[in-house]
Amino acid sequence: MTNLAVPRPHDRPAGPSPLKIGAWLAAGLAILPLLAIVWLALTRPSATAMPLSLILQYGVTTAALGGLTAVAVTVLGTSAAWLVVMYRFPGRSLFGWALALPLAAPAFALAYGYADLLDVAGPIRTALRASFGSDFWPMEIRSLPGAAFILSMAFYPYVYLTARSAFISQSVCALEASRTLGSTPWETLTRVALPLARPAIIAGTALALMEVFADYGAVSFLGVQTLTTGVVRAWSVYGAPGSAARLSLLLLAVAAVLLWLERSGRQDQSFGANSARWRPLEPQPLQGWASWGASLFCLSLISFGLLIPAGWLSYRALSAAPEADRLIQAALTSFSLGGVGALVTVALSALIAFGAPHSHRIKRLASLGYATPGAVMAVGLLAPASLIWQGAGSEGSQTVALALSLLILAYAARLMASALGPIEAGLTRVTPSMDRASRTLGETEAGTLRRVHVPIAKGALLTATLLVFVDVLKELPATLILRPFNFDTLAVLADRYASDERLAQAAWPTLLIVLTASLPIIILSRKIMQSRPGE
Amino acid sequence: MTTALTLDGVRKLYGAKAAVDSVSLTLEAGKITCLLGPSGCGKSTLLRLIAGLEPLDGGTVATDRTLSGPTFHAPPEQRDIGFVFQDYALFPHMSVEDNVAFGLKRLSPAERQKRALLQLQRVHLADRAKAFPQALSGGEQQRIALARALAREPALVLLDEPFSGLDAHLKAGVRDATLEALRQAGTAALIVTHDAEEALMMADHLALMDQGKILQTGTPQDCYWHPVSLAAARLLGPANSIPVMVKDGIAETGLGKLDAEGLADGPAIAILRPEALRIGLGGVNAVVTSNRFAGAESWIGLRIESANHFDLHARMPTLGSPPIGSPLSVILDPSACIVTPA
Repeated sequence: MTNLAVPRPHDRPAGPSPLKIGAWLAAGLAILPLLAIVWLALTRPSATAMPLSLILQYGVTTAALGGLTAVAVTVLGTSAAWLVVMYRFPGRSLFGWALALPLAAPAFALAYGYADLLDVAGPIRTALRASFGSDFWPMEIRSLPGAAFILSMAFYPYVYLTARSAFISQSVCALEASRTLGSTPWETLTRVALPLARPAIIAGTALALMEVFADYGAVSFLGVQTLTTGVVRAWSVYGAPGSAARLSLLLLAVAAVLLWLERSGRQDQSFGANSARWRPLEPQPLQGWASWGASLFCLSLISFGLLIPAGWLSYRALSAAPEADRLIQAALTSFSLGGVGALVTVALSALIAFGAPHSHRIKRLASLGYATPGAVMAVGLLAPASLIWQGAGSEGSQTVALALSLLILAYAARLMASALGPIEAGLTRVTPSMDRASRTLGETEAGTLRRVHVPIAKGALLTATLLVFVDVLKELPATLILRPFNFDTLAVLADRYASDERLAQAAWPTLLIVLTASLPIIILSRKIMQSRPGE
Repeated sequence: MTTALTLDGVRKLYGAKAAVDSVSLTLEAGKITCLLGPSGCGKSTLLRLIAGLEPLDGGTVATDRTLSGPTFHAPPEQRDIGFVFQDYALFPHMSVEDNVAFGLKRLSPAERQKRALLQLQRVHLADRAKAFPQALSGGEQQRIALARALAREPALVLLDEPFSGLDAHLKAGVRDATLEALRQAGTAALIVTHDAEEALMMADHLALMDQGKILQTGTPQDCYWHPVSLAAARLLGPANSIPVMVKDGIAETGLGKLDAEGLADGPAIAILRPEALRIGLGGVNAVVTSNRFAGAESWIGLRIESANHFDLHARMPTLGSPPIGSPLSVILDPSACIVTPA
């Protein structure tokens, strides 16, 4: 039997509602730059082509960097999560949220700090030479392993947070059953807890890898040539948007694979979590040196991920007076871009969450944007951007406004999915029948949104705004490529100082970013700490 | 009689499957109608169609005006039909009072509060006005959901399995409170349920539904004693079926003759409620094959020892019920039997 082909002109539920159309448009914005990339890659012949060997080299470096970082973040993040969830030891409740703190620092902040600290002329190696006569420091920080170390320290919190929530959602019943069946605690970890948490850990690692491949500031400062630095070089050095687009295609393919990994991880995540017999885990006290060992492990993660590099940068910053005018100007620019970017992004995400709550296709489009490195996003917007540049000259407030709109669009396209997560989580409290109840009580679709959805998801909307704000603050490559001339954010300013080797000056904007981002990160990670499954 | 709602040939397709198949039904103003059917029969879908939460694929839904038709679909907020959801769907971010006042936005704030309190008094929960839904018990939440739906004084209120989420010992009390509130409001009500006893006890009118179709409508007594088919009979309680031959308006069951007036000669089905079988002298010989204790009454399995053996189920008082294996004589009460076409 087929559908009755009766025309239904006034049939509102049959046609897409205005909200749903809005949701599709919002998701369309996320993939617009990606379509532009494909178009650029196919249509622009590259006159000044990058040599193939160079591209291959970029690819190999990127793969090696990804592999090393993946192993490190998985081990570090999972271990930290297991300790914090399962055991009592000194400082546990502090570490619970503080382990997420490195998220407040952009990766380039760590790169500046470590590169300077471990430089041949830096304090540590100078001291070594003074004491032992020779400098036997084993690792050059401006190298592939050095970059892997820095990125691992910057991004392990992604694995820590997903693994932690997976461990918490595991019922103590499953773990106790394992013990009564004769498993030791170690066997319980390897045979029950880890397999249960595996999807979440994979998802966390995929998220961390997305950040690794998207990073520009840290790797370019350390002189490690990845595909992402390649994209920026193809555009800035070679002036070849076609080459940049073709490199971007490679990164997009990687992003799609990561996205698939992350999604497949999340789909299975619910198993074990929704058991009716869920009982909270009661953490076991650790004795003696084991408890101090656990504390030391967590403390060193936070130290290497934030305290040491930020501390050294602070010390360096104090040695030089900041160029106050530039710094204040950049801070204002960063905050206003962050604020506007966050509001636009959250509004678009809310449109998706409210308008198409059950459409996986729309969400997949939005998350494709999230997996796309900022540099790639920017290259995708270059074609319309250069049209504007040429059309109106390099001056004029209109041009600036248009360029800024493109930049905001790049942020939104990239970060919509990260805002979508908390909003959707908040909306799980709105059951489908609440929606219907409101309608049968005389509310329109828009009225239901205003009186039911938005108030219930209020906290989640705020969370999403904070998340996006922090990410915009830390963003470098897209801003670098798309910003109007002489329009510096804190991140751009830091990058410009750093590439001039004026590290003490670079420390100022970098630390401002870290300080500003710390507060939202502390609020968010403490909030995650308090949440329990089913809430 | 004034009608509160008329359904005419209502259809709803999910893919190729008709979830609701040409349903026609009339609800009387101020009366309570129970829509009874097994889970998955389409009864909840029918409620959503009436409320306008889903578009129809055919037919019309009308109150005093057309709500859904081939070219028209009034959105739910314009239908003046209340809905009590199975999970109650109370808004967690609003107090009980604000939940009840949710649909009264056209009134002044003072008037709104007055009306909400009145509704809460009717369900005996005025003292919980400032509480939040999460703090209430399941039974209380159900009554708030009802008060919220009735606050707009709709001409019709729909209740989707309103008691299914409640513990057995709470059900009777909440059911009485619901009936009382509905009667007081004077609104027509359509209550969806899969519980036969609940439907029989609450309904002024019954509608029996299975596989997307309405099988039978009528008073509870009418539907129980005069089912139109075996399927309809079994929706309301256990029933024995015996294949019979009708000749000249009479059906021979092997236990006695039954009136089959109006049926053509030929094969038919005799439907016997368990209470139609009694122990008595001068009946048909039978042996007890099972005796299952169920409180005041027991379920007795009987094998009828006629030319062709057949098994029947009877319900008898537990005290003095015959033990397994004992022979007895069974007589048939024709008033608890009916013959339907095969």
